[in-house]
Amino acid sequence: MGPRLAFPWLAALILLCLVGNTLVAAGPVVEQEKVTYRLKWLINASTAGDVFALDQGFLSRQGLEVAVKAGGPERDAVRELELGYAQFGVASADQVIRALAKGASVVVLAQLFQVNPLQWIYRADDFSLSRIQDLAGRTVGITYGGNDETIMRALLATVGMNEHQVRLASVRYDYTPFFRNQVPIWPVYRNTQGIFLSDKLAAEGERVAFFDPFEHGVRFVANSIVTSKKMIDLHPQTVGRFTRALLAGWQAAMAPANENAVIRAVTKYDRDTSEAVMRRQLAATRQMIQPDPDIPIGHIDITAWRQTEQIMIQQRLIPGPVNVIGRLEPQQAP
Amino acid sequence: MLHRRVFQFFIVYLLGIGLLFGIKLALNLSDYVIPGPTGVWHTGQAEFSRYMGDVLDTFAVAVIGQVLSILMALGVGVAGRRATWFGSFIKVAAYNVQAYPIVAIAPILFILLGDGFLTRLFIAAMICYFPLLLSVIGIMSEPVVDIEHFYRVTGRMRWQLEVKIRAFENLHKLTTVISGSATLAMAGTIVAEFIAANAGIGYSIRIALYQSDLSKILVALFIIGITLSLYQGILELLGAGLKKAWAAG
Repeated sequence: MGPRLAFPWLAALILLCLVGNTLVAAGPVVEQEKVTYRLKWLINASTAGDVFALDQGFLSRQGLEVAVKAGGPERDAVRELELGYAQFGVASADQVIRALAKGASVVVLAQLFQVNPLQWIYRADDFSLSRIQDLAGRTVGITYGGNDETIMRALLATVGMNEHQVRLASVRYDYTPFFRNQVPIWPVYRNTQGIFLSDKLAAEGERVAFFDPFEHGVRFVANSIVTSKKMIDLHPQTVGRFTRALLAGWQAAMAPANENAVIRAVTKYDRDTSEAVMRRQLAATRQMIQPDPDIPIGHIDITAWRQTEQIMIQQRLIPGPVNVIGRLEPQQAP
Repeated sequence: MLHRRVFQFFIVYLLGIGLLFGIKLALNLSDYVIPGPTGVWHTGQAEFSRYMGDVLDTFAVAVIGQVLSILMALGVGVAGRRATWFGSFIKVAAYNVQAYPIVAIAPILFILLGDGFLTRLFIAAMICYFPLLLSVIGIMSEPVVDIEHFYRVTGRMRWQLEVKIRAFENLHKLTTVISGSATLAMAGTIVAEFIAANAGIGYSIRIALYQSDLSKILVALFIIGITLSLYQGILELLGAGLKKAWAAG
């Protein structure tokens, strides 16, 4: 073989070695399964675990390429599951129960919040709300149609009070009536808005306190991870991998040692909240995601779900029982 | 004219709702995503009178808002019809005010004016004012040469007469624009109620959305549509009557 003839063979051999080397270095190519995860609300400290699971590769290590999409008032994860726009989502218990009452095939995989973050903020120097009866004669803000309305009515019903004994005032996202003290008892998400409002009032020298329905016996379940029955039937492996990865992400996100990394992950989406505020939001979120270290993250509180369904029946928000307990399908913990 | 408007609305509504039911059937969707005909019917029976009251509340605000915007548009349109510096200034100012999306300004309005009647009225007026203004300026800036020439050469032309001639010659256009702006006024009021008011059908729709109850929204849309169709029909009748009376006079 002359030198002219040997050159192309040598070049091909070198090329083959280079390509082979690259493939070995890259490892086996695993095709990632694409799924969409629709959150309940905008990304903030309340979604720290979801964002952290994505950011730290908990989901990708399970072979899942997850599009985490922010929620909002006009988004409804349960609808998106049925329409096929999302495979997983976050929904509140009242959303799940309403959907079941209307024939939707939704399944609860894990309960993110063990304590509902929905509470009422008030100025601690003006009065104290240690009992439900202390609400009598006061103006209480509620979002008509929202789950704070349901919770407040349930609270009043537990002590035999009705809406004529308190002044219910319709509220929105504008806090002006609270700042002006026109509506002194205002519904907030304790771990996010609660922190921000506390700071605002503290700047004016005012102290705040929170009225927590959980302390008065109303355990109305908040956000949970949901999927469709079809998804569980057709892709049980995917459902298992997703839930395990997500809960592992939440577990890691709630560890105080990872706080800086969690804040970095959340800040990528939530640029409006300062780091100091986010740290306190995260601390409050920890207390609601895992109030008891013996209870694992994602634990489904069956008693609370049963109570939530009962409240909705009593308030005629659904026509009759939907057997929500039969739709709770906790996945194996990570 | 009136019955034709109502009939046309029924066709549009039934087509829309039929399409929704078709999608529900084809994709086998639950009542949570799209309610069934019986669900909508039962909701209609349960909520009709309450929603009718809400729609009339919204409608009252929308009508007052529309009247205000007609007056504003006529005022600005008449003042800005001439190609003078002042006319041009009025037009620029009017266009700039409209350049800000009202939905972005709405929260400021609610802080300043509260979430009551005034804010709803202001937003309704602002939303339907601009299309009216464009039409009025268009009509008022366009001379009706054949008729105006006579008054000009005889030295009898005054600005009031000029406005009258142009309005009369374009009455059909004006009636159509005013009738169309009723929809915008209603939409503006509903947007205002949706954002922050405590009354009206926009507020009720918001509550229904919180409750994920599409049946209620479909019922609300029906009542809004039928009310608007009747109102637009009445406006067209009034326009036709006005033209006849004006021509006779």
